[in-house]
Amino acid sequence: MIDAIYNWIDDRLALSKSGRHLLNKIFPDHWSFMIGEIALYSFIVLLISGVFLTLYFVPSGATVIYHGAYKPLDGTRVSDAYASTINITFAVRGGLFMRQLHHWAANIFVGSIVVHMLRVFFTGAFRRPREANWMIGATLLILAIFNGFLGYSIPDDLVSGTGIRIAFSILESIPFVGTNLAFFLFGGNYPGKDIIPRFFILHVLVLPLIILALLGAHLGMLVKHKHSQFKGRGARNDNVVGSPLWPNYAAKAGGFFFLTTGVTAILAALIQINPIWQYGPYVPYKVSYAVQPDWYMGWLDGALRVMPSWEIHLPGHMIPNVFFPGILLPGVTFTLIYLWPFIESKFITHDYAEHHLLDRPRDNPMRTAIGSAVFAFYFVLFGASSTDVLANYLQVSLNVVLWIFRISCIVVPIIVFPIAYKICLELQQVPEAGKRKRHMIIVRDDQGAYHSVDSEEYPGYIAPELAPVKIEDVDLAPEIEALNTSADRPDEGIYQIPRE
Amino acid sequence: MIEAVKQRIKIHFKALLKYDKAARLVIFALAPIFLVQLFVELPAAASVGAHLGRHHSQTTGQITQTAAAGGARTPQLQEGRTLFDENCSSCHGINAAGSKLAPGLRGLGAGVINLWVSSGWMPLANPGAEPARKPALFNSQQTNAISEYVASLSKGGIPILYPDLKGASVEEGFSIFALNCAPCHTITGAGDALSNGLYAPPLHGLTSTQVAEAVRSGPNNMPVFSTGVISKSQLKDLVAYVTKYIEHPDNPGGLGLGGVGPVAEGFIGLFIGVGLCLLVAFWIGDRTEKEEKEDSHSKGNKKSETGVKHA
Ligand code: HEC
Ligand code: HEC
Repeated sequence: MIDAIYNWIDDRLALSKSGRHLLNKIFPDHWSFMIGEIALYSFIVLLISGVFLTLYFVPSGATVIYHGAYKPLDGTRVSDAYASTINITFAVRGGLFMRQLHHWAANIFVGSIVVHMLRVFFTGAFRRPREANWMIGATLLILAIFNGFLGYSIPDDLVSGTGIRIAFSILESIPFVGTNLAFFLFGGNYPGKDIIPRFFILHVLVLPLIILALLGAHLGMLVKHKHSQFKGRGARNDNVVGSPLWPNYAAKAGGFFFLTTGVTAILAALIQINPIWQYGPYVPYKVSYAVQPDWYMGWLDGALRVMPSWEIHLPGHMIPNVFFPGILLPGVTFTLIYLWPFIESKFITHDYAEHHLLDRPRDNPMRTAIGSAVFAFYFVLFGASSTDVLANYLQVSLNVVLWIFRISCIVVPIIVFPIAYKICLELQQVPEAGKRKRHMIIVRDDQGAYHSVDSEEYPGYIAPELAPVKIEDVDLAPEIEALNTSADRPDEGIYQIPRE
Repeated sequence: MIEAVKQRIKIHFKALLKYDKAARLVIFALAPIFLVQLFVELPAAASVGAHLGRHHSQTTGQITQTAAAGGARTPQLQEGRTLFDENCSSCHGINAAGSKLAPGLRGLGAGVINLWVSSGWMPLANPGAEPARKPALFNSQQTNAISEYVASLSKGGIPILYPDLKGASVEEGFSIFALNCAPCHTITGAGDALSNGLYAPPLHGLTSTQVAEAVRSGPNNMPVFSTGVISKSQLKDLVAYVTKYIEHPDNPGGLGLGGVGPVAEGFIGLFIGVGLCLLVAFWIGDRTEKEEKEDSHSKGNKKSETGVKHA
């Protein structure tokens, strides 16, 4: 009966064929290929916890009087958005956990995208034919950062309100169109009543949909291009070596999903994030000293702090100081990120060929050095967003800290570049570098003399020269189990598939 | 074997030697930072000195005027006088009249003395030191004795304040705090570095007396909030909020991270959150190195012979 239904459906949708194709997709086994999955899984956590939060959140800037569990706010005039977030925290069962889960997941989401991107960059995985997917990935990063900003802004608390104010003035600083653009996006002058509902729709509907669509495209292209892979274990430019999606990789990925979720849930359960009840509602004339944004906006905040107060006067127009760190810097940054694959092949490698075998970072010292220097630059900017916290912690003058960061954001990349470059060259020279070393064991022989011998290979060691099995040669369907339990098959779990 | 080890050490050592150019670069690059620090710190130190200088030039004029005005009439004042003479007069002068080292304390009132002594700022270890919070040297009885003694020397100033927190409204207090105090002490009262080498200290571990006295007297760089700005009943509300909710923040969500906010959160999100996930990936993913030519004699060849179909 079930077979019959299945066959009927299959006849019409040809699921088996494409399904088999998908199930046989080969995933390289190296752990660094799983970083992107962290982002994917935390996105799923975001969706689920986000749906829960929308059930209770009231996206409105209208003023209400809060009455509830948190005493210091009792009877205070606050916005609906703020009051409902406080209620989620104190009155909804599991609400605080969900809020914290959502927020920690957002932090991990953006963080893992960045790490994933670094992996892709330093191994040259963005090269032809994957340039477009690289650009999609960069877009996803922008959207993730932006949606994170919207997300922590909508509770309308004192800290995020300050952030929105800064965002407004950044938008306003765009020459010629700034004021109109800012008024258009915020629905009037700041602070308006429209901000919260607008941000909300963007945050829960528009941006997630775009992210989902792009994510689909991202993964679709991944399937189409097939994975890139590191050299070794029989990997060539014209094949893919690894485990098939079903059942090997599915088991791995499933476990990974639960572990990622588990890590996020542990954070959510144990460590408090964004305690907006302590911050109070946003009131334009109240400010807290030196509030920071979430870390993924930190580099922008750092840039704002580090930037000296220059203004450029054009005839009839003044470009305010915030324009450079607020608009120009991210604009240039992401343009460079988008164009990097082309910049690299045109100016550095002069290599336009297709690449499916990844570089190790040392293989392309120029790219690695540039990447490290740029990353160091942003890392310094990121650190600069905590100038006040550092100054307070170290009990050094804030001005000194600020100047150290001003100088470091120029000097550190200049130092990092040659060092990274040199290290790459050195690593190329030292063939053993970076290899897992085996222990030496001291043994004593009959005569009483000592010798050192290599220890046993560590368990799970897979000999490098192992030749993978062509997946076409194995009919997975009937034999999946046999394949995966076979003690007589030393190549267990390693398959290859040709690229078209 | 030993040859091989030697060889390896040599290779690594050579590699290290080649970095020495880079090391020199680092030193050159760091030098300007230290220079800047020197230039920024020196004027700051100088201005502190000037500040002190201003202070005592104001006060020396009064010394003769009110000298020996105060007697020590009660046992408390007696004790206060002894303690003051032993611990404070070396800097603040006999009868708190001020000296070259420190300003006079007359007319400040018992409240100010009480705040400075109970918060551990006074006595200073040496005249050049910055007053920093440390465990108070005296117990509250002794502190009060010193305060009352100094206050008895002249009129005026702020008495020791014992705000009555019964019926105080923390709602009102929160609002006043956000409006008046958060711009320096941050909204969670965690404290922060202000510009020009100033710090707003964290508002943890303070008594209601200290908070009230700080608000009314404005120690050092903190503004004075007189009754015109924060009324008597508002002060109660404020003190209630600070002593209840700033000192014991309501952290139902777990670890409060000291109220530092997004910086600490980001740190944890990145290093613990993403870090743990990466470790997991590292754990369940494959970690074998890529093949190198030398390794090809190992077990690999044997394995590939046993029934593996070659591509
Ligand atoms: C080593 C010298 C030294 C000693 C000892 C010392 N002080 Fe001070 N005191 C200072 C200096 C210097 C200042 C000014 C600090 C500043 O303004 O930053 C000061 C400031 C003060 C102030 C604040 C004055 C104002 O104008 O607000 C009070 C109150 C005070 N001291 C009380 C005391 C008491 C009480 C003692 C004894 C328990 C004491 N000091 C011991 C050096 C000293
Ligand atoms: C202009 C910034 C500023 C504002 C506004 C401000 N403070 Fe302060 N506050 C300071 C500084 C700076 C100090 C440290 C004084 C010192 O070092 O002697 C301080 C010290 C204190 C202390 C003493 C802390 C200790 O360690 O003993 C208390 C209590 C305090 N402030 C409470 C408040 C309250 C309550 C408000 C709001 C009514 C407030 N402050 C507003 C800057 C400020």
